[in-house]
Amino acid sequence: MATAPSVRLERPRRSPTPRALRAALTSSLAIYILRRLVWAVAMLVVVSALTFLIFYLFPSADPAALRAGRQATPELIAQIRRALGLDRPVYEQFYLYMKNLFLHFDLGYSYQNNISVRSEIFSRLPATISLTVGAVVVWLAIGIPVGVISAVRPRSRLDRVVMGAALVGISAPVYWLGLVALFLFASDIGKVPLFGGAGSYVPLTQDPAGWFSSLVLPWFVLATAFAAFYARMVRGNLIDVLGEDYIRTARSKGLTERRVILRHGLRAALTPVLTIAGLDIGILLGGAVLTETVFNIPGVGRFAYDSIVNSDLPSIQGTVLFGAAFIIIANLIVDIGYALLDPRVRY
Amino acid sequence: MAPLLEIRDLHVSFRTRDGVVRAVDGVSTSLGRGETLGVVGESGSGKSVTALTVMGLTRLPNAFVGGQIVFDGTDLLELSNEALQHVRGRRIAMIFQDPLSSLHPLYKVGWQIEEAILAHEDVSRRAARRRAIDALAAVELPNPRDLVDSYPHQLSGGMRQRAMIAMALVLNPDVLIADEPTTALDVTVQAQILELIRGLQKEFGTAVVLITHDLGVIAETADEVAVMYAGRVVEQGPLETILEAPEHPYTWGLLQSIPRLDTPRRERLRPIQGTPPSLIHAPSGCHFHPRCPYAMPMCRTIDPELLESDEGHVVACHLPVDEKRRIWRELRPREADAA
Amino acid sequence: MNRLLTSRRRPATGVAAAAIATGALLIAGCGGSSSSDAAASTGSAKKGGTITVLSAGDVDHIDPGQAYYSFTYEITYATQRPLLAFKPDSVATTPDLAAQMPTVSKDGKTVTVHIRNGVRFSPPVNREVTSADVKYAIERGFAASVANGYTPNYFGDLVGAPTKAPTKVPSISGIQTPNKTTLVFKLKHPEGVFNGALALPVTAPVPAQYARKYDSKTISDYGLHQVATGPYMIKANASGSINGVGYQPGKRITLVRNPNWDAKTSWRPANANEIVFKEGFQDPTVTAKQILSGSADVNGDTPPPPAELRSIMANSSEKDQLFFTPAGGSRYIALNTRKAPFDKLAVRKAVAYVLDRNAMRLTRGGPVDGRIATHFIDPSFKDKGFVQAGGNSFNPFPSPNFGGDVAKAKALMRQAGYPSGMYTGPQLTQVADNTPPGSNTAQVVAADLAKIGLKLKTISVTHSTMYTRFCNVPRNEPNVCPNVGWLPDFHEPQAILDVTFNGKSITTVNNSNWPLLNVPSLNQAMDRAERILDPKARYAAWGRIDKAVTRTAAAVPWLWEEYPTLFSSRVTPSPELWNSGGPDVTFMAVK
Repeated sequence: MATAPSVRLERPRRSPTPRALRAALTSSLAIYILRRLVWAVAMLVVVSALTFLIFYLFPSADPAALRAGRQATPELIAQIRRALGLDRPVYEQFYLYMKNLFLHFDLGYSYQNNISVRSEIFSRLPATISLTVGAVVVWLAIGIPVGVISAVRPRSRLDRVVMGAALVGISAPVYWLGLVALFLFASDIGKVPLFGGAGSYVPLTQDPAGWFSSLVLPWFVLATAFAAFYARMVRGNLIDVLGEDYIRTARSKGLTERRVILRHGLRAALTPVLTIAGLDIGILLGGAVLTETVFNIPGVGRFAYDSIVNSDLPSIQGTVLFGAAFIIIANLIVDIGYALLDPRVRY
Repeated sequence: MAPLLEIRDLHVSFRTRDGVVRAVDGVSTSLGRGETLGVVGESGSGKSVTALTVMGLTRLPNAFVGGQIVFDGTDLLELSNEALQHVRGRRIAMIFQDPLSSLHPLYKVGWQIEEAILAHEDVSRRAARRRAIDALAAVELPNPRDLVDSYPHQLSGGMRQRAMIAMALVLNPDVLIADEPTTALDVTVQAQILELIRGLQKEFGTAVVLITHDLGVIAETADEVAVMYAGRVVEQGPLETILEAPEHPYTWGLLQSIPRLDTPRRERLRPIQGTPPSLIHAPSGCHFHPRCPYAMPMCRTIDPELLESDEGHVVACHLPVDEKRRIWRELRPREADAA
Repeated sequence: MNRLLTSRRRPATGVAAAAIATGALLIAGCGGSSSSDAAASTGSAKKGGTITVLSAGDVDHIDPGQAYYSFTYEITYATQRPLLAFKPDSVATTPDLAAQMPTVSKDGKTVTVHIRNGVRFSPPVNREVTSADVKYAIERGFAASVANGYTPNYFGDLVGAPTKAPTKVPSISGIQTPNKTTLVFKLKHPEGVFNGALALPVTAPVPAQYARKYDSKTISDYGLHQVATGPYMIKANASGSINGVGYQPGKRITLVRNPNWDAKTSWRPANANEIVFKEGFQDPTVTAKQILSGSADVNGDTPPPPAELRSIMANSSEKDQLFFTPAGGSRYIALNTRKAPFDKLAVRKAVAYVLDRNAMRLTRGGPVDGRIATHFIDPSFKDKGFVQAGGNSFNPFPSPNFGGDVAKAKALMRQAGYPSGMYTGPQLTQVADNTPPGSNTAQVVAADLAKIGLKLKTISVTHSTMYTRFCNVPRNEPNVCPNVGWLPDFHEPQAILDVTFNGKSITTVNNSNWPLLNVPSLNQAMDRAERILDPKARYAAWGRIDKAVTRTAAAVPWLWEEYPTLFSSRVTPSPELWNSGGPDVTFMAVK
């Protein structure tokens, strides 16, 4: 008699055992990250408090009076002060701000135009990120090769010329450099119209070609000082590294000089460079105010500057918090990344 | 049989801001196949620079190299950098004093050995890896399969030196130059490393140049000994000859200055008086004359030549042979006294 | 737009300010065109195209019921229809939403306005405008959630107007709407300048039913959902929100045609299809070059710097694109009359004599920046008060070439009781801008005052801080406020002199009577002048008041500024004479 074929159900592969998960969670790396994140939150609270303090201690414009306008009566200003919550004691305002921040991720509303600070910052982040990431690529692409070439021929004429140019690059004020770039290469007012001029920024999603063209000059202007600085740093690091014993060993193995310099020398010299680059990215994500100003890029940096000029405390707080958060996160990533780059580092 | 490696009148000087440093000032020596040459001398004697020059690692803009280094019939000093790269690592290999700083800290040990292989042979990565593991096993390292993925800082000093040796010998070179290979290690580990080198040498027939300041190391391993001082070879000969019947005041000083377990406690250590000379302004004539208790007027003005005094024994000293032998008979540490 | 310095002209960046016009050759009025030359476009201008306006800053408030900057007015008057408005080449009010000019009763306490038929709100409201909408617009100006700064001043005299700012939009009995097209204003006292007040944007209609839900919040956000009655509207989405659509704060404001605007009801040509205000252009040289290259059409606030102005005026094809417009008010140095030594008339007169007005004008670019002021009502008022105040010949503190007269100053100091002619008292303070050109002006003031022994300590802060924390707060006010000035809300002398020099206008915060001048005879003269309905008599009265105030030397006027406006060659120029030369985008056309 034929029986129904017994269907042997294959046990599905088990997902990572709870034990493995527990191991991952309690690994030293996980604990380290957790500890750092807790500190990060504490740090942001402190930064926030400091911003409040600075705003109230140092003479800045009265936001209620600014909002009320030139002919407003004192009663009206008092009304506005009440409406904005400015009549409450500082610590109460701070407490309310923190509560909104942590419970609702609500950064408040601008005193100027009543727009949500959070939405303003988020709408401006893509521009700042575009500017930062592009500049980083440019300055690393210029700074590292230049540094390597100089290091391989120290004190040669090429080295001296390049390092001299680097010094000029570091010293040139960004704003001035930006104006020169515009007057030379802007498509509307430049002598050699090549790239988008001031105010030509469009989002990447809207017009990729326009986005790129509008950012070329800002990238190079912002990258100049960094490229110069990094070239000098790479040169210094690499010269030091090339004097190390393991370079001698690498040569004694019969490797080509190029391999020795790049695979052995540069690899060791770059570790501190990359960590510093990580920190610089963190700082720039808080907004490169001068570059954004001269090229009229609607980023977070400009927003921060405008809010200071307008004594718009919620916006100031928002930009400061974002800037601090970026720096803290960049620090964390850099510290973890360093362990990946240098196996000798432990937590 | 023609020597495998012959150095003829090698001069190496470096132009520095303080002046011209004559690191190697006329060195001639040779090394036979499978032989162990011990090169002994204090810091600044030029022994490391000589070794580095053999490897072609002193080709710097501020360096002047003169003379000949004939390896297996070819003058290495005449070779281009590219051609020399084929010799380096493959036919002549070198290991260094401090294995922690001499291994790249950011790459795994196995990777560094594989790199050495892949630089000279066209094999697959996997094959190179297997050979690296074999090399690590050959230097008697435990768990070579795990070690191959370790970083240098994860190994002990002795293990690191073994790994360096493995890296140097993985391509079976003709010559291994070991520059102070045991100086940075414990005494017990020292012995193990030296034994390892001896064992590998026997197994693979590698010629070894062992550079050291420690006569004890020489005594354990060398067939032939060359004594260097201030950029020159002052005496060279078979091991027994140098230890038993040395004929250069510097060698006498070296032998006398070794502390011995059987020396009476009250007796003072006997260092060689004076300080090593400046290589920029080397003393005229015999470089050793300012410190030599037996210096004669001509020592100050005339460079002594390396002349053969016995079979296979050369010395550079103006003292007459009889004089030398008489002095040594007086100086030599008497076993009888110790009893 | 009383806020001088922040209305149109941003404190210039260091780049522009560094270009001090040494030996600037051209006097305002020659070389560039004056705004009266710019004829308003006739109906024969080409329709279509996009106009681009560049600005450094953003509007002060996007809500027309709060707008106050002259830059903002460039948008407000293009999208809203107050009862009265201005044609670009005029300072006289003309009916916009009103069908004719208002009629005033004999006793001046009843003002009647009829509004036009056929004016509709933009989507999503769409319906026809009624008088109730104007009533609501003015009423909401009083509410705390809207907090219009000038409403209590000009409309506070309405019967039933609240004295304190109510939390809800009040209902004012003095604004009556007998029918859909008629408004009757009942005033407690006659108000001579009520006509001018009816041209302010707060009288532009606001639909009550639509707006109430926004106005009832603590801070109204009607501005982000505003509807338009003018030829253009701020681009909005289907539900009427402009946030992120036509209004991107600090970035861009886009005006598109109001589909419900009927050209037959309006004298505005509205030639262009779209007007884009691009913000954030901080560098004035870059802005000027962009306009000259044609990639943008006009500067909305920041004027070209003196170096650019000179090069444009020297260029035969470019100079016709440049227009100079009198600002309408003056810059002055305010002396705190409540604190010694400026409580003494003689000392104040000494200051008026010693100040080198030429040097001060140089800090702003030299003669190209405007004329040296000798009293407060500026030349653009012409016979509406300027002539009556003595015009150019009234100069009570003359000095050779306006360079200051140290000898006379010292003589006055001796009169004041300082035998050496030099002040011997303690150090004085001034609070000044911390960026050029204001900081440079303050330096000149300090140097000049030192010539008669008045040593000034300068506290440098941001512009807004200087106002809101120091000069506008009598308790914190220093001896000298060197960077103040005043522009009129409309061209009536009262708007220049009342808030600024009437003792009654002094408030504890937000005070604009910086000298804290409180002379009972002057106060009474001003109160009387406010009630004069006959324009001629009114201007004569205020002309006399201007002279009297100038003679008190409580404030020393030094500049009647001319604002340059640069148009690109692809548009027809149209600077607003009534609005410091700002472009009237409803009259401009793309050629």
